[in-house]
Amino acid sequence: MRVIASYSIKGGVGKTAASVNLAYAAASAGHETLLIDLDPQGASSFYFRLRTSKKDRGKSFFSRRGRLLKNIKGSNYRRLDILPANLAFRNFDIMLNSMQKSKKKLKQILIPLDDDYDLIILDCPPNLTLLAENIFNAADIIVVPVIPTTLSERTYDQLLGFFDSKGYKKKKIRPFFSMTQQQNRLHTDTINKMGKKHSSFLKSRIGFSQEIEKMGLHREPVLAYASKKSPVQAYRSLFNEVAKALGMK
Amino acid sequence: MKDSNFDCSRYIVPVNIDRKHLLDTLGSHFALKATNHSSEKITLVDSFEWGLYTKRLLGFRMDNNNLAIWPSDDLFDPDQASVVENDNPQAKFWWDFKESPERGQLQDILALRALMPLSNGVLKSENGSLQDDEGKTLVFFQMVSFYRSASARNPLFSQVKLIPVTGYEEQQQRAQSLLLELGCFEPSLSPIDSFLGAIGVTPAPYTVKPELFITPTMPARTAVNSIISQMIEKQRLNEQGVIEDIDTEFLHHFRVALRMTRAAIAQLKEVFPEQDVLSLKERFGKIGRAANHLRDLDVFILDKKRYLNLLPESLEPGLLPMFDDLEKERASEVKRVAKWLKSAAYKKEMADLQALFEKGYAACETEWSERPSSELAVNKIMKRYKKIQKSALKITDSTPDEDIHSIRIDCKKLRYLLYFFGGLFNAKQLSRAGKQLKRLQNRLGIFNDLSVQGQYLETYLEETEHQEQKDVYLIAALGGLIATLHHMQQLSRKESIHELHAFSAKSNRQLFSQAFAAVGPAQ
Ligand SMILES: Nc1ncnc2c1ncn2[C@@H]1O[C@H](COP(=O)(O)OP(=O)(O)OP(=O)(O)O)[C@@H](O)[C@H]1O
Ligand SMILES: [Mg+2]
Repeated sequence: MRVIASYSIKGGVGKTAASVNLAYAAASAGHETLLIDLDPQGASSFYFRLRTSKKDRGKSFFSRRGRLLKNIKGSNYRRLDILPANLAFRNFDIMLNSMQKSKKKLKQILIPLDDDYDLIILDCPPNLTLLAENIFNAADIIVVPVIPTTLSERTYDQLLGFFDSKGYKKKKIRPFFSMTQQQNRLHTDTINKMGKKHSSFLKSRIGFSQEIEKMGLHREPVLAYASKKSPVQAYRSLFNEVAKALGMK
Repeated sequence: MKDSNFDCSRYIVPVNIDRKHLLDTLGSHFALKATNHSSEKITLVDSFEWGLYTKRLLGFRMDNNNLAIWPSDDLFDPDQASVVENDNPQAKFWWDFKESPERGQLQDILALRALMPLSNGVLKSENGSLQDDEGKTLVFFQMVSFYRSASARNPLFSQVKLIPVTGYEEQQQRAQSLLLELGCFEPSLSPIDSFLGAIGVTPAPYTVKPELFITPTMPARTAVNSIISQMIEKQRLNEQGVIEDIDTEFLHHFRVALRMTRAAIAQLKEVFPEQDVLSLKERFGKIGRAANHLRDLDVFILDKKRYLNLLPESLEPGLLPMFDDLEKERASEVKRVAKWLKSAAYKKEMADLQALFEKGYAACETEWSERPSSELAVNKIMKRYKKIQKSALKITDSTPDEDIHSIRIDCKKLRYLLYFFGGLFNAKQLSRAGKQLKRLQNRLGIFNDLSVQGQYLETYLEETEHQEQKDVYLIAALGGLIATLHHMQQLSRKESIHELHAFSAKSNRQLFSQAFAAVGPAQ
């Protein structure tokens, strides 16, 4: 079982769009996949037409393993399951703080899922808190959507700096360019510059696309309704690159 | 989640419930979303031995000539078929299909057997899901129906499968009860058996080996009679396959069955009056000889790849003209044999012979005819074993090849006796003795094949001498092959002698005399 986190310190960069479509691509390539919606906003859950649970289950999520499995829902697609967002996730940090080994709790909780899944994808909320550190420990690879702008460059450096200061392995971090626009000079310049500076960038880029914006109307991963020739198929090549980096068959 | 297909439920839809009514019923409780439906002409295929069916598989030739193979539990589930790709409408052997792992599976199951069409019709399938009002899938459903033809009104077979979605157990149960209330029911047979039953196909797995029920006290003649009667029946089961030239196994089994009949007559002759034995031997012998040549050709052609591999690459093409000749000769030989099998003379002769054994062979008593069959079995098996063992001990490096070949024939006779009477003995000991014999037979078989093949090639070479235009490459290839086979034959001879000595060792003598000590009341 491998774990992919879709993460960024910045909000609104395409983490959820990536999670949802990577999960769809993985399942359609034959991998038993579980998408965990760690963001209390529940955007991933919404795209899969799931109702988010209102009960306060934050504590039990981290304390009882059986509960975790019970809350999993099958999606509309074969081999793709979702653990829906839980509104109590808001209190994660407070809870994690009160527990021992609190930075590895998520990693531990995922271990028993190994029997059931080939791949786990974590859709993460944008922040640099204790939950984020749990994510960094649990993930085998962290994909980071980067919109090619100066501001994004700075937040990306901030993430690398955080990894350095805490002694996490930077090798896990694999950024990719998100919402790129070909006509935009700033974009192309930043892509050139950052691509040269960081060899860890994945080759696949997700261009800005109205089809992706419409996911909220369709309530489906864009791969489920886009044509075979659509540029959004880049999500599949993104998945293939990640799968290769993870040594998945 | 892995294993989420675990509690799929499958229901048979009775003919009186029509498709629309069923869908409407589900539709009144769920939002019904159809994802795809298809209609395809398909042909059920299997080998004469029902090789796929005995492995709990069903194979279908699809409209596009691909072969789809389903395991029983996932019958008609589009995700679970293993597809052997193919665009050749004539493909029937595993080697006719495109190379793939799926083809490898087929190879293991079919070996030399051809796939034969057994039934055809139209398969209609509908896939979809039962959803809530937000379009969230709660249960997947799959409906497949098999029609005799595209225009048929009612399906011969129709089933609905509900595939659960993790986390929606209640809804799955709701859908199940809706189907049950309608009158759908869970089949008591396995999916493939309920399907075959519905379309009126009855599997009849076949084996060339005798399947006999001989008891120790059964009079010897009755036992021998039942052996012969069954082997004639098996021989005749293979006639049509030879006539249509479906695969080479039909002729092979035709001859094996016939050889067993002849072995029973010759080896157990004491149960029949002497003059009858002579005429029976003569009549069955004549039938046996008629197809010898075709079998030789088959064996040679089946080994084509092996022969080519024995030669250096540069000489391989040289040998091809010989195989062209062999194929041509085979084509005309098949026709000749088919004509013979269809002839009134053959049919009458077989019918007459069959009639002799059908109701028990009628003739005056002989010394052995009424004695218990176990006595006959023990006597014959031990005699044959001792003969083999004695001659084996005499073999040295200077023994002529013919003597070794004649032991091979004795081994075959012993093998047949074990087939005939095996049921009378302790299964464990029988299997141990049988394995020892099999080992020896395999060795001797290889030795014999190499000798026969070498001789055949020499004869073929001699024939080229009279041809006007001599093909240098052919001659070189033949020379290379003859030399290689000769070398292999020498090695094989050494191994055979070694095996013969091992077979006649004391431990084996004990094994045989224990396994085939007198049984039953004959003690
Ligand atoms: N490649 C793209 N082209 C156009 N629109 C996109 C693209 N990727 C994402 N979007 C849209 O941008 C918005 C933000 O995307 P998304 O929700 O995936 O980002 P996020 O990083 O998960 O945000 P958050 O930090 O709020 O969780 C959404 O409305 C989404 O539809
Ligand atoms: Mg998000």
